[in-house]
Amino acid sequence: MALIAIIVLVVVLSKNVVYFRTVSEAVAERPSDGDRRIRLAGEVVPGSVTETRNGVRFDVTDGKKTVEVVHRGDPPNLFKAGAPVVCEGRWDRGARFDSDRILIKHGSEYEPPDVDSERASAGRVAA
Amino acid sequence: MRRSEPGPERPGAKCREREGMNRPELLSRRFAAMIGWLAFASLATLAILGLWVAPPDAVQGDAQRLMYVHVPAAWLAYLAFGVTALASALYLWPRTRSTVWDRVAGASAELGVVFTGLTLVLGSLWGRPVWGTWWEWEARLVSTAVLFFLYVGYLALRRIPGPARAKRCAIAALVAFVDVPIVHFSVEWWRTLHQEATVFNPDLDPEIHGTMAFTLFFGVFAFTLVYVYLLNRRYMLEAMDEGREERELEQAIAERTRAAELVDVAATAASPTVGAGARAREGDPGMRSAR
Repeated sequence: MALIAIIVLVVVLSKNVVYFRTVSEAVAERPSDGDRRIRLAGEVVPGSVTETRNGVRFDVTDGKKTVEVVHRGDPPNLFKAGAPVVCEGRWDRGARFDSDRILIKHGSEYEPPDVDSERASAGRVAA
Repeated sequence: MRRSEPGPERPGAKCREREGMNRPELLSRRFAAMIGWLAFASLATLAILGLWVAPPDAVQGDAQRLMYVHVPAAWLAYLAFGVTALASALYLWPRTRSTVWDRVAGASAELGVVFTGLTLVLGSLWGRPVWGTWWEWEARLVSTAVLFFLYVGYLALRRIPGPARAKRCAIAALVAFVDVPIVHFSVEWWRTLHQEATVFNPDLDPEIHGTMAFTLFFGVFAFTLVYVYLLNRRYMLEAMDEGREERELEQAIAERTRAAELVDVAATAASPTVGAGARAREGDPGMRSAR
């Protein structure tokens, strides 16, 4: 009984629990979304980041589609070119995305900053 | 007053139960002390490994060091609730039914709640500098919060007395455990801000290497020792508590019996008719069982 309830719950939730949309999904669903508040996830395109008077402007891509994001406010500490980001906001009247909240969605890989420099420091400790 | 309900059991099972009732601790005193010191030394070593020996992460810097306590805390919550579920199943199975399992289930669930809370707090502290938020309404975070409140509810249920208290709690513990796999797989089933599992991912290919991986595994080891030590302590406390309750009940019955006798004597001295009435009160079932 409980198991069936759980399976139903998981199936239903799997369709509705969407924390973010990829850039291509967001672009495809744009006509139906209108000016609803959504979350857009992708990578910051290197070289596209420019500071504006009250925030930053950058391109975000999922490899298939790219969208220009205009963000109001300070970006988080780990924001940089190539960073995986989730931008919260609405579509502009044009093709731009107005964001007022950026979160960093980091991956599950962990590694030292630079393998070579770590070796170098390890060598120093040994010496 | 907590007592396991007497059920239709074979004499052997009854005997085991009595044995279990008197079992005041899970581990021998020497072994428990050894585990305690080992847990303490491991935690100290983990602090050194996590804060100084392990390198900072390439992307997250020093904030990533929170992983060495956040992940072991989460692991401990899974472990504790797993033990609660297992002990509850053993309690429900008539052949293994014993107060020992009921106590283990309660003690372990309490630790699980503490470490789920710790996981949430440490995760929040990690999320602020790295994600840029203390809390998000996404599947991993919400399912973990649900886990916390499910077992807080379970602990509340344990405090409600009744003839079938232990059985009721055992069933509740098994139902609540369903959320544990949901928490673990939430990052695979749904899109979340939280990253996927680093070690127990579907490919079982750890995405962490060298000193960082060693520190993480050492953290899991140290926290597990802490769990074993605390579980034994909490179990002892529970057994003592039950012993105290039983002694207090016996004392209360003895006092009441003595008071009734005094009244009886006084009444007989004053008037023989009232004395007869007091003697008739001995027909009271509670009174009779007390004598």
